[in-house]
Amino acid sequence: MLKTLLYLNEDLASSIALRFTDYLNRFVKLSLYVTHVEEVDDKEQAGTGWVRKTWQDGVESTGKQIVNRMLRTENISCPLAGRPKIFVGDREKEVEYEMRSGLYQLYIEGHMSTSGSSDFFELISSSMYTNSPCPLLVVKNLSISKKFALLCSDSVDPAPLVEKTMAVLGDSDFEFDIIFYKFNDGSELQILDKNEGGSVLQETESLLKTAGKAASEVHVLLGTPEQVGDNLKDYALIASTLPRRESMRMQVLANSLATVMLVRDK
Amino acid sequence: MKILIALDAMEYSQNILKDVARLAQNTLADLVLLGVQNSRTEQPNETLVTTLLQYRGDVCSYFSDDEMPYGELDSKELSQISDSAWQLSSRGIKECLLRISTGSVAKQVQTTAVEVGADLIILGCNGKLGCEWDGEMNVPLRIAKDAACSVLVVKQPKNANQIVSILDQSFVSQDSLELINQMVTLYETGLKIIGVNEKKSGTRQNAMESRMIDLLKYYNDRNVGAWVKLIDSGDLNEHVTNASREGLVALWMGKESLLKKLFSMSMVDKLLESTRSSLLILR
Repeated sequence: MLKTLLYLNEDLASSIALRFTDYLNRFVKLSLYVTHVEEVDDKEQAGTGWVRKTWQDGVESTGKQIVNRMLRTENISCPLAGRPKIFVGDREKEVEYEMRSGLYQLYIEGHMSTSGSSDFFELISSSMYTNSPCPLLVVKNLSISKKFALLCSDSVDPAPLVEKTMAVLGDSDFEFDIIFYKFNDGSELQILDKNEGGSVLQETESLLKTAGKAASEVHVLLGTPEQVGDNLKDYALIASTLPRRESMRMQVLANSLATVMLVRDK
Repeated sequence: MKILIALDAMEYSQNILKDVARLAQNTLADLVLLGVQNSRTEQPNETLVTTLLQYRGDVCSYFSDDEMPYGELDSKELSQISDSAWQLSSRGIKECLLRISTGSVAKQVQTTAVEVGADLIILGCNGKLGCEWDGEMNVPLRIAKDAACSVLVVKQPKNANQIVSILDQSFVSQDSLELINQMVTLYETGLKIIGVNEKKSGTRQNAMESRMIDLLKYYNDRNVGAWVKLIDSGDLNEHVTNASREGLVALWMGKESLLKKLFSMSMVDKLLESTRSSLLILR
């Protein structure tokens, strides 16, 4: 069972994330924990001692109600492995601490696809992502697909991509493809043979072979991030390494309508 | 469901018949095949009558004998129902009416749609020079603009690689959702649901988000690939124009619709020009 932490809020993104987690559980058995952080302004934080404790209990109770409402509304079949973990404070800090202390193997949260890439880049540049001890799943949509894709480009280190992705999905019932991305400003997306992908693609395929895994399809996508992001929508999820800068690959992941799984390469 | 199909003798009208038949099969719809002649005569234009009869036969040919909901025609000739209109009805589980009227095409299509209580108007258009109907550029636009019911303008049948449905805070009827569902089935493609963010919209925004998740679940539960995306209202025109190049765009343009405020009719005209597929205006 994969020890998984799911962040919930009371919004569309969380609703989709909760449903997607339920879907993922059909392919990878999850030991699921949910969490929520009630963020409060410094001005709102009251007193010391029992006064503060009473205030904190009240805020936590609000958080519990939010999570319980979400769980009741969505009524997922994947059982929870423990009580919801509700914290009060800074969301990034609290979640990062919980990820580390709880020894989770996967973190999941929802994020709505938007027309630009700035929201996505802001999310994945946060310390919670850059310091994450486990792979991160950014859920953007529900899926009916039984396939995921490993996305690589010249900036991707194949070893952590293969090792960390397979640690999560290697024993799942998903099939998978390998996609190598190349930027091209043309009007149409082009799908090229894997020979056009270069050494990173070859190494990725070879590492997978060594791990006893074989991709269903391997190809190169040549196009703008928007074209490629749209093309990836038929996968349940896209796995790649966490981009450190606003690269074209980051733009592809931002534009992907499919859910994105990010693994750290360091 | 009642579908009014505006037809003339041009190739683009003939090309929409397969889609009309499939939609009629899926929804068990009543059909009204409408031809419009421009000059007043004592008898309906013979060529138009022959064309409509031929089209009716073509639509019926897509049904097997077991499934055929439309009966034989009541007569061989159209009967006059007013100074300038003739029609021929048929008996069956469902109605398939032929009607010919006289006057301006756009006006007659709208008037007839109201008269027969149509839920949807379908018409084709020539895609070579934008979107024209028998040499006139703005007939599809005028119908789309003023019709009381939903309108589907088909430019190139079977050419949509996705359905892009633009959703705002206004009420969306169950009929509209069903129609989108039918389009997804018809074109055998996925559905992209675009929610339009309007600043300072508060609870109405939440209502839209809640509807988006309902739609997503609805289609996924039916094994239809559906994806949601949020865009700001300022990006709407560019986003829709881009989407129209590759897919069928469905726009809700009801009285209360934010899209109606944001989306001028000149933009609909541009869409009709730029789309390679079809445009669906939902009401």
